[in-house]
Amino acid sequence: MKIELKKFGQLLISRPDGKEAWLAAKAYTLSDLDDSEKIEVDFNGVLVLTPSWADEFLTPLLGTYPQRVSFLPSTNQTVNSSLEIISK
Amino acid sequence: MPKQQINKKNNIGDIEQWAIDGDKKYPKDKYYCPTRDIFQARLTGFLEGLRKKLTDDNRAFLLTAIVGEIGNNSFDHNLGKWLGAPGVCFGWESNNCLIILADRGQGVLTTIKKVRPKTNTNQEALRTAFTKVLSGRFPERRGNGLKFVRQVAQTNNIEISFYSGNALCFINNNEFTIKPAAKDVPGTLAIIKF
Repeated sequence: MKIELKKFGQLLISRPDGKEAWLAAKAYTLSDLDDSEKIEVDFNGVLVLTPSWADEFLTPLLGTYPQRVSFLPSTNQTVNSSLEIISK
Repeated sequence: MPKQQINKKNNIGDIEQWAIDGDKKYPKDKYYCPTRDIFQARLTGFLEGLRKKLTDDNRAFLLTAIVGEIGNNSFDHNLGKWLGAPGVCFGWESNNCLIILADRGQGVLTTIKKVRPKTNTNQEALRTAFTKVLSGRFPERRGNGLKFVRQVAQTNNIEISFYSGNALCFINNNEFTIKPAAKDVPGTLAIIKF
């Protein structure tokens, strides 16, 4: 399954927005996931990602589906810097 | 990009004065964001303008991310506890490569002291906020926003002067310093030069 983050917006900035996105993803996107299906996170089309938004969406995604989530490469520096921060 | 001094005769200087004096000098409405969604809307316009001015899109995105983190911090840590007018003031002057954000919230020391009671000074509080992954809203897992702000500023030639109480955190490519401030800001004030 590929999750296109741009479908949650181009500016992914605040914690409340990240939390709401996660709740929506659980209800409408991830509910279709097969038991062992891998998840790819696609940052294409995202203009700004902050660690606050990422922490509310990606951190629980990684925790809920351990070993099943991968991030597609991005040239966007806010994406790469945010991912680096939340991975620490 | 040249780094300009704040011209107190320009309207954007009102934001700094509001951060210090509170309601005595209210900034123009165009800067005032009483709620998070209004701040987000202004942030969208800010990015659009910045992309037209800068040749480097990534730089515009990084600046927007910094402003987004700082501005949303104001709402995250002061909802229901604003000492003055609720919300943030957010203004910018593209020609002067200058951004100012301010709130009349509790200040960083009050927030940090809730989770680290032995924090006694504004300088200690700023050092914790910018260097430690520590949530001021325990038990929620938070606390990485200002670390991100510092990292992005230091690696992208962005200068930040962040005030809270009687302390200043100064960040640029070559420096990360916490020191006494010449001004007393009850909430927070961020002056960003890029």
